[in-house]
Amino acid sequence: MKIGIPRSLLYYYYYPLWKNFFEELGVDVVTSPPTTKKILDLGVRNMVSDICVPIKIFMGHFYYLMEKELDYIYVPRMVSIEKRKFFCPKFMGLPDLVRHTIENPKKVLRPSIVAKDDNIALLENFLPLAEPLGKTKGEIKKALKKAETAWLHFRQLSKEGYFHQDAMNIALGKVQKENLPIYQGGEITIGLIGYVYNIYDDYISMNIMEKLQQLNIKVITFDMLPENEIERPIKQMDKALFWTFSNKLLGAGKHLFRKNQVDGIIHVTAFGCGPDSMIGKMFELESQDTQIPFMTLRIDEHTGENHLQTRVEAFTDMIKRKKV
Amino acid sequence: MKISFPYMGVPFVYKKVLELLGHDVIMPPRPSQRTIDLGVKYSPEFACFPLKVIMGSYIEAIKMGADTIVTSGGHGPCRAGFYGENHQQTLKQLGYDVDFIVFDGWRDNIKRNIQNVRKIKGKNSIFKVYKIVRLVYQMLQVVDSLEMRIQTLRAYEKAKGTCNKIWDAIQRKLDEVETKEQLEEFKKYFYDQLDRVELQEVAPQEKIRIGIVGEIYVVMEPSINMQIEKVLGDMGVEVRRSQYLSQWVEHNMIPFKKTHEDEILKKGEPWIEISIGGHAKQTMGHIVDYKQQGFDGIIHLMPFACLPELISQGIMPKISEELDIPVLTIPLDEQTGLANNLTRIEAFVDLLKNKKNNQHKTAVIA
Repeated sequence: MKIGIPRSLLYYYYYPLWKNFFEELGVDVVTSPPTTKKILDLGVRNMVSDICVPIKIFMGHFYYLMEKELDYIYVPRMVSIEKRKFFCPKFMGLPDLVRHTIENPKKVLRPSIVAKDDNIALLENFLPLAEPLGKTKGEIKKALKKAETAWLHFRQLSKEGYFHQDAMNIALGKVQKENLPIYQGGEITIGLIGYVYNIYDDYISMNIMEKLQQLNIKVITFDMLPENEIERPIKQMDKALFWTFSNKLLGAGKHLFRKNQVDGIIHVTAFGCGPDSMIGKMFELESQDTQIPFMTLRIDEHTGENHLQTRVEAFTDMIKRKKV
Repeated sequence: MKISFPYMGVPFVYKKVLELLGHDVIMPPRPSQRTIDLGVKYSPEFACFPLKVIMGSYIEAIKMGADTIVTSGGHGPCRAGFYGENHQQTLKQLGYDVDFIVFDGWRDNIKRNIQNVRKIKGKNSIFKVYKIVRLVYQMLQVVDSLEMRIQTLRAYEKAKGTCNKIWDAIQRKLDEVETKEQLEEFKKYFYDQLDRVELQEVAPQEKIRIGIVGEIYVVMEPSINMQIEKVLGDMGVEVRRSQYLSQWVEHNMIPFKKTHEDEILKKGEPWIEISIGGHAKQTMGHIVDYKQQGFDGIIHLMPFACLPELISQGIMPKISEELDIPVLTIPLDEQTGLANNLTRIEAFVDLLKNKKNNQHKTAVIA
C-alpha cells in the first residue's frame, strides 16, 4: 500500500511521527518533492485567490500527489492540541476543502487530530486509520509507540539548537548526530519568528535560514525554545489567542524581546494571514517597549528574492552597525 | 459611566437594554466613510474589515464622550473573539482612557463574565434585569418579523422607496418603546402601514428570491455591505439573510433550546464537518436551507481574507453545482469598489432571471 504525504503545512513539524507510523505498518510513504514554481502554480490555479500562500502550496502538493499511483493521500484534520485552543480555521476545514474540490474524495485519509499537547501520538487520533489500512488495534498501537519516539527525538534535537533540516535528517536516520555539529556562528543573534511551513519551506522563504547564516548571524526560532519559556508570556495575558501555533509564535517572540537574548526580531508572515495580523500588532508594541529592532517580512507567491535579500541585509546591517 | 457598543444591524436594541438598566448611553453613529477611515488608520493592515470598522466606531463614540464599551468576546477560533483585546490595546496606545466590558462565551471566562454582569446590572434586581431582557428580546422578534415582510414587499412596491421610509420610521419609533403595551401598539401600527403598501402584480415565475449568507457583521450591517438588501429590493428581488438578531439571541443566550440555527448547522455538516469558527458552517447550511425553500440564488458576503469564510468560498463551486443554485461571492473591505460590485450584482440578478425564465419556458413547452 502507498500513502502520499504533501510536503507542506505541518509536514515540517510532524513528518517524523507520520513517516514512522506508516512505515512501521508496512505502508510505503511517498512525499511530494520540495516546493517548486510548478507545484505552487498548481495550487494557485486550483484555489481561491484570496487564501494564504501556505494553503495554496498545500493544494499544489496535494494535486501533485493526486497524479501519482497512490492508495491514499493523508490530510489530517488538525483541530486542537491544547485545551480551548484550536488550529487556524483553514487547517480545520482543509479536509472539507480537499474533498469538495476533487473528483475522488475516497482517496483522502482524513482523521481528526485532537490532543492535550503537541504530542499527537494518541490511539484515538490514529485508530480510525485501522480500517482503511487493514490493520488491528494492536498494530496501530505498536506503530504509534515507534512514531512517538522518533518525533520526541526530533523535537529534542531542535531544542538542543539544531536547525530544522538537520534535526529532521538526524531524526530520520539519514545522518549520524556525531557527524553534524550545531551551527554556532554569529556576530549578532536574530529571532526568526514564523510558522514552520513558512520559514522551512525553502521555496517560499527563499532560503532565509541559509541567507542569515551566510551573513554570519545566529538564528533562534520558536521550535528551538523550551515549551515553558514560550508559555510563560502567554499565561500573563488577559486573554490568549485561540490558535495554538500563533500562541507559540507570540510567546516565543515576547520571550525573546524580554530576555534580551537577541539583537533583533524578524517576523515572517504570509500575505493575508489572519492570526498574524493580530500577532504583528503585539510585536510592534513589544518592540516599542524594549527598543529591540523588529521587522515584518511578508511573503506570498509574488515575492521576489532580491526584495527579500535587500530587506534582510538592510535590517541586519543596521543592527550590526548599532552594535559596533 | 457613559456606555457605548459596536454598531451592527438594529443597534437601537442594544441602546434599549442599557437605557432600561439605567445607564447613560452614547449611541455610536452609523458607520460612514469617516468611521472606516479612522478604523483603517488605527488597525493592523491585515486585520479583517469588521475589526477596522468597529475600531472607527469606538473612536467616534469616545470622542462623543463614551468612557465604557460593552461588547462580546467569543471563543474563537476566528479573529472576532480577539477583537476586544486588540481594540483595548490600540485605544490605550492612542491615549484613550476607556473601560471595556467584554462578554466571552460563558464557560470561557466565568469569573470575568460574572464581574461584567455585576457592572452592567447596576442596582437593578435580577428579576428586573430578566424582565428587561425579555422585553427587548420580544422587541427584536417584532422588528425581525417586520423586516422580513419589508424584505419581501420592497421588491414589488409601486412607489419605490416606500418600504425604506417605513423601515426608517420603525427604527426611530423603536427608540420610544418602553413597555409591553407600547410594543403591541408599535407592532399593530407598523403591520398596518405595511398592509397599505401598494404592490405591482408580478407573475410567480418572474419572482426572484435571493438568500444572503456569510460572516455576521458584513451580512447584518447595511452601511458596510453597500445596503445590499435595498439595492436588491429596488431591482425587484425578494431577500432573506442568514442572520437576524432575534435568532442570534435565541441560539446564543437561551440555554438548551433547540433552535433554527441547530438545524442549519446540521444541514451544513455534509459540507463542513465540524465548526471551524465564525459562520462558515452556517453559511453552507443556509445555502442548503434556501435551496430547499426554493430560492433562486445566493449572495455570499465575506470580509476580505476572513479565515473561516475562505473555506466556504473554496467549497462554493461544488455546492453551487451540486444543488444547482447560482452563488455570487463578494469579499468586502475598505478597498471595495461600489460600482464594480453593483455591476456584478446586476449581472447576477439578470442571470437568475434568465435561468428562471428559461426553466419556465421549457416547462410550458413540455
